[in-house]
Order: sequence, then structure tokens, then C-alpha cells
Amino acid sequence: MTALLAAGLSDYSQVMATASTDALVDERALIKQAQRADARAFESLYRLHIDKVYGICLRMTGNVSEAEDCAQEAFIQAWNKMDKFRGDSAFSTWLHRIAVNAVLGRIRKSKREQDRILAVADTGLPTVEAGDTGELRDLSEAVDRLPKGARNVFVLHAIYGYSHDETSEMLGIAAGTSKAQLHRAKRLLAQQLKQQGFEA
Amino acid sequence: MNDDKLMQAARQLSTKISPERDLWPGIAEAIEKPAPRRWSPMFAQAAAVVLLVGASSAVTYMSMKNSVSPIVIASPDMVFEQASFGNRYNLGPGFQAARNTLVADLDVELERLSPEARENIEVNLTLIHSAINNMNVALEEDPENIVLQERLLRTYREELALLRRVRGLTRNVMLRNDI
Repeated sequence: MTALLAAGLSDYSQVMATASTDALVDERALIKQAQRADARAFESLYRLHIDKVYGICLRMTGNVSEAEDCAQEAFIQAWNKMDKFRGDSAFSTWLHRIAVNAVLGRIRKSKREQDRILAVADTGLPTVEAGDTGELRDLSEAVDRLPKGARNVFVLHAIYGYSHDETSEMLGIAAGTSKAQLHRAKRLLAQQLKQQGFEA
Repeated sequence: MNDDKLMQAARQLSTKISPERDLWPGIAEAIEKPAPRRWSPMFAQAAAVVLLVGASSAVTYMSMKNSVSPIVIASPDMVFEQASFGNRYNLGPGFQAARNTLVADLDVELERLSPEARENIEVNLTLIHSAINNMNVALEEDPENIVLQERLLRTYREELALLRRVRGLTRNVMLRNDI
């Protein structure tokens, strides 16, 4: 029974690995087609990546309409720069970097960061996803309330799993600053959550 | 909540969030528009030159429009030189003296050059003289044509520059007779 179960798990792993490889091959083919200005292939890439790109935009801006604009801008820029994608990094990383730049550009354009916070308050809890419940919902709300620098680092490093080097490169800051901002973010989040009754 | 627990919780937050509306139509509309044509540096330079010439001609025209231009006849010993240059330009005595000296020495100077160089210079001088003659003929019919006047003046300058270059070339060539 154990052997059968083990064999089943092994088969399952192989199927998953094959599926993952197939997806990569498909993505590579789509990228090549998109690089030849195939809009339909690019739409497929959009469908594959929009949720993560939008997620980054939403968690960084904290505002639905701004996140939509940033995500759209990111894909438009990606289309215009497709010929520059050489495959040195994963396509998703390349795309996320463009999305982060779109968000940072938008934040720079906005009059004041305070406007953003008020906009968040006006639109309720925009970044709380249906899947985030209980403590996660509170954490998501607390992340929204973080100051810009700390929030950006926390989103990219803690939520999206980018290393400090990658995070700092995306944000155009030093790796040391990224670490300092993460420390600050954790301290502020712990304070917020403690106020809401969450204990270590 | 300690750091580890906080980071664990952060890892569980959703990374994939679906937008409330499909963003593709907006993207498709943007990417299907033809990209705005960028001017190449060469094209931009050419455009700048055209603009400069246009602006300069306009300023010249505006400044001369209301004035009556006395016709100044150029030196009679310059056989191909019959033009007037309106009231802005004339072939000053300095120019004429310099040109006369260069023209007088031209044959001697040309003799010192190689046959190929001599032929090349003679062809260029013929072209310049022919252009000057044509412009003079045109100016006889339209003496107030500013563009023609300016071109004629520029051509005279080119001729003078060429004559000076001939002299410079021969000065740099040391012949057996010079030793």
C-alpha cells in the first residue's frame, strides 16, 4: 500500500514536472511569437501573467484604479520592449520589474503620498483578496498602511519572494536600504498587529 | 507576532490577484496603434537646416521688403560679375583686391601643381564661373531676388576660398626650382 502510494506520488510529481516544462516551452514559444509582433501571442502571455502583475501593482499602490492603470502600462511597455527581452532572467521577473517601474513612476507623478492613503481609505480594503482571511486579512490591511519605502520592500521581498538584491535592483535602492526597510516594515507591522490584539 | 511568524504569514498572502475587469482591451487598443515615428538624428538635422534657412530668408525678406534697393554694379574687370546685391551686400574693394591678386597668380600657381590636381581645380572653377554667370543672367531679370543675391554672394566666397586653397597647396609643395 505504501509502495503503491509512493509510486502514485512519484507519478504525480512526474506529471507536474512535465506540465511545468510544457508551460515553460509554451511560454518560450509565445515570447518568440510576441517578439515578432504577434499580438495574439502577447495576449496569451498577458493571460498567463496578469494576476501576479496586477497583484504587485495593487499591493504597491494600494488602490484599484491605480493598480489597473499600472498593470496596463506595464504590459504596454513590455510589448514595446519585447525585442529587448533576451531571456537572461525569467520572463515573469522581467515583467515584474517593468510593473514595479510603472508603479514607481506613477507614485512619483502623484502629488502627495498622503493622497494615496486617503484614496485607499475611500475605497475600503482594495488589496484584501478573497483568499486572505482572518489574520492574513489583517496583515494585508496593515501592509497597506505601511509607509511607501517599507511597503515596497515588504511586498517584493516578503510577499513575492524576491531576494534583497533583486528587490533593491527593482526599486533602485541599495541592498542595505532594502534590508533596513524590511526591518522597519516588520517592526511597524508587529506594532499594528499587536494593537489589533495579535500576540506573538 | 514575531518576525518568523510574520514572514510566514506574508508568504501566505495571495500573490495572484485578478483585476475586477479585463484589462486586455485597453492594452490591445494601445499596442495596435502605430508607434509614433521617431525622427532620426540625420532627418532632424536636415529639418533644422531647412528651418534655419527658412527663418533666415523670412527675416531677410521682412527687413528688405519696404526698402528700395539701389543697384550696385560690381567691378567691370570681373567679366562674369554683373550682379547687384541689393542694399545689403556688395563686393567690397578688399574682396576685389584679394580676388584680383589670386586670379593674377592663378596660372603660375596651377603650373606648380600635378596635372590631376590642376585639372580638378580647373573643373571646379569652371563650374563656379558657370554658376555665377547663370545667376547673373537670372538677376538681370529679377534684380531684387534675395535668394539669388545671397547664392551669388556665397558662390563668390566659394571661388575665393578655392583660389586661396590653390595658393596654399602650391606653397606647401617644394619644387626643384625652389631649392
